[in-house]
Amino acid sequence: MNMKLFIFIVLISPLLASLSSFILKNKRFAEYISLLASSLDIIGAFIILYFVLNFKPIFLFNNAIAIDKFSAYLILLVSIVYFLSSIYSISYMRLAINNEKMTENEFFRYELFFNLFAFTMLIAPMINNMAVYLIDIELTTITSSFLVISEVTEKSIEAAWKYILVVSSGISLALLGTILFYLSGNIPGSANIVSSLDWTVLGLNAVYLNEGIVRIAFVLIVIGLGTKVGLSPMHTWVPDAYSEAPSPVSAMLSASLENVALYGIIRYFGIAGKSLGFGYPEVILITIGIFSIFIGVMGIIYQNSSKRLFAYSSIEHMGIITLGFGLGGIFGTFGALLQMLGHTLTKSTMYFGAGNFLHKFKTKNIKKIKGVFHIMPKTAFLFSIGSVALIGVPPSVIFISEFLIILQSLKDGYYLVAVILIGFLLAAFISLLTKSGSMVFGKADENFKAERGDFSPFSYVPMLLPLAASLILGFYIPSGLHNLLIGIVHIINFKIK
Amino acid sequence: MLGYSMPLYIYVIEDLLVSLVLLSSFVMLSSRWISFYIHAYGFQSFLIFVLTLILGIEAQSVDLYLVAFLTLFVRTIFVPYILLKMIKKFNIKEEVKLTLKIPFSIISGVVLTVIAYFLIYRLISPFSSKIVVNVASIALSLIFVGFFMIISRFTTITHILGLLVIENGIFLLSVAVVPTLPIIVELVVLFDILVTVTAMLILSMFMKMRTGSFSTSMLNRLVG
Repeated sequence: MNMKLFIFIVLISPLLASLSSFILKNKRFAEYISLLASSLDIIGAFIILYFVLNFKPIFLFNNAIAIDKFSAYLILLVSIVYFLSSIYSISYMRLAINNEKMTENEFFRYELFFNLFAFTMLIAPMINNMAVYLIDIELTTITSSFLVISEVTEKSIEAAWKYILVVSSGISLALLGTILFYLSGNIPGSANIVSSLDWTVLGLNAVYLNEGIVRIAFVLIVIGLGTKVGLSPMHTWVPDAYSEAPSPVSAMLSASLENVALYGIIRYFGIAGKSLGFGYPEVILITIGIFSIFIGVMGIIYQNSSKRLFAYSSIEHMGIITLGFGLGGIFGTFGALLQMLGHTLTKSTMYFGAGNFLHKFKTKNIKKIKGVFHIMPKTAFLFSIGSVALIGVPPSVIFISEFLIILQSLKDGYYLVAVILIGFLLAAFISLLTKSGSMVFGKADENFKAERGDFSPFSYVPMLLPLAASLILGFYIPSGLHNLLIGIVHIINFKIK
Repeated sequence: MLGYSMPLYIYVIEDLLVSLVLLSSFVMLSSRWISFYIHAYGFQSFLIFVLTLILGIEAQSVDLYLVAFLTLFVRTIFVPYILLKMIKKFNIKEEVKLTLKIPFSIISGVVLTVIAYFLIYRLISPFSSKIVVNVASIALSLIFVGFFMIISRFTTITHILGLLVIENGIFLLSVAVVPTLPIIVELVVLFDILVTVTAMLILSMFMKMRTGSFSTSMLNRLVG
């Protein structure tokens, strides 16, 4: 099978969609071409994943593109969110044009950058050279900052400015870390020169790297890429950008961009672990993970805005995933990988729901959104089940992943970590459930003027699909997914036999 | 590699150039005028171009020549040109609003430079010559000063310049410490600078149109 073709299709289709929709300036065409491109992408991602899982990793163009199981998994996660968001943005953008005075120019700029953003995220996990990967992450920042100002308001400009400034400074630190990684393999006078920045080469020759420099470089990488992931204390831009962006973009930012940035940290985690032993990088990831969970939960408790609520929930989830990778072991890493999938599925559902609320109630304030159940029954039904799935109540896949991570912390003897994690999860459980409960079941305002009833099926089908998947995965994990995740666990953490 | 078989005056010139680079970052710290800032940045980039060229001759690396000339075009000419044009076009009130007084900024810059020397000395002195340690320390201090400039000045243009100074520092560090770095890395970094600066300028134009100024101190609506 010639995999070049499929990779080419995956990359070229969002690019063509973005350019053609911008040039032709036809609304219907723009909507459906991005839907078509994202459907092609999701098919292509499955084919790439199937090939990598059953045959061998793909190396193309003199090893410039390297796709192993981990990369293929990330490509699939990104294209799932791209597909769902492009369905949802049909509904969201029609409503924005009709009700929110969005101009045609703004709409076509949105379509241009929406597909370009997907393109930059899809290419990131394929890149072998870590410096080029970082620059690609920087490009995702730029494309998505233009998406944040899809509707130009003072607030959205503020959010976009904070986003681009904080993340660019973060990426420059990560670039410094990358250069130090290169230095660690190129010490003058050393016998073993590792003159490459490809993760494949660095991973193979990790034992030859200079340990002192790798220590500092790994910390810089975690700080730099952690800014992009939204780990605390570098998370300051996250709630602003996620709440001001249009909902389909918030879903892409939260559910896939965070995973793509975390992918880089985990690649370096593997390299640093092979060079230094896993003790040092694990402690760093555990610390930063716990702190992010803390900040995320505190943000959830004191939150009055529906979209900022889920932004803090993203910070919490990323903290849990980082903690899972940090705890290592087979359960921890497996749980973290599964949590990535669960986060992708449930978080996109929640952002789409919050977007529907925003269009109906014209506000993000939780206290003013009441009685959605009587006004938009289908959205409310999916939203309430989604919030239960998001906090990890048993039939959801997030329950399994969080349970595995707790299990790993008990197995390794980190009892304090387990207790803290359970405490925070309970706090998040209570406060998220109260808030979404008051939105969905609260007493509706009698003066509520807008028309009752749901929006078009494009507004709730993209909520239904990932929610159903996350509930089914909670009951039954297919053997293919199981094998894939076990394979990735062995790639990341080589000491597990 | 650095530090072999070059006449002594080359090292003297390198030391001189790199100390001028440090001086230009202090000029930025002590100035109140945006156009002054931009000229100081252009001057700093020009010094880095000359330094890269000398290092290229020393290491006999064609890649470094190429990178040096790209630096000349992008960092020294193009970026300052569009920034100055932007200022002229929007007729910016030129004075920068400082949160910290200038003497305090300079003292902070000195402290940051000392920290940079200390860190670099600990990190690379076992295997590097003195001149490399010197250049790398000043490069790291540029990174610190860039961050300091971002947090202590509240206009969009100075934020962009702060990021550019950080990029200059990273570039100087990479050519001094690892001259063998693959050229693709330097190229994509330059490309990244172009794209980032353009995007940030477009954003700040939007900001100017909406709020009527380039000041970021009024960006305080989103909290919590």
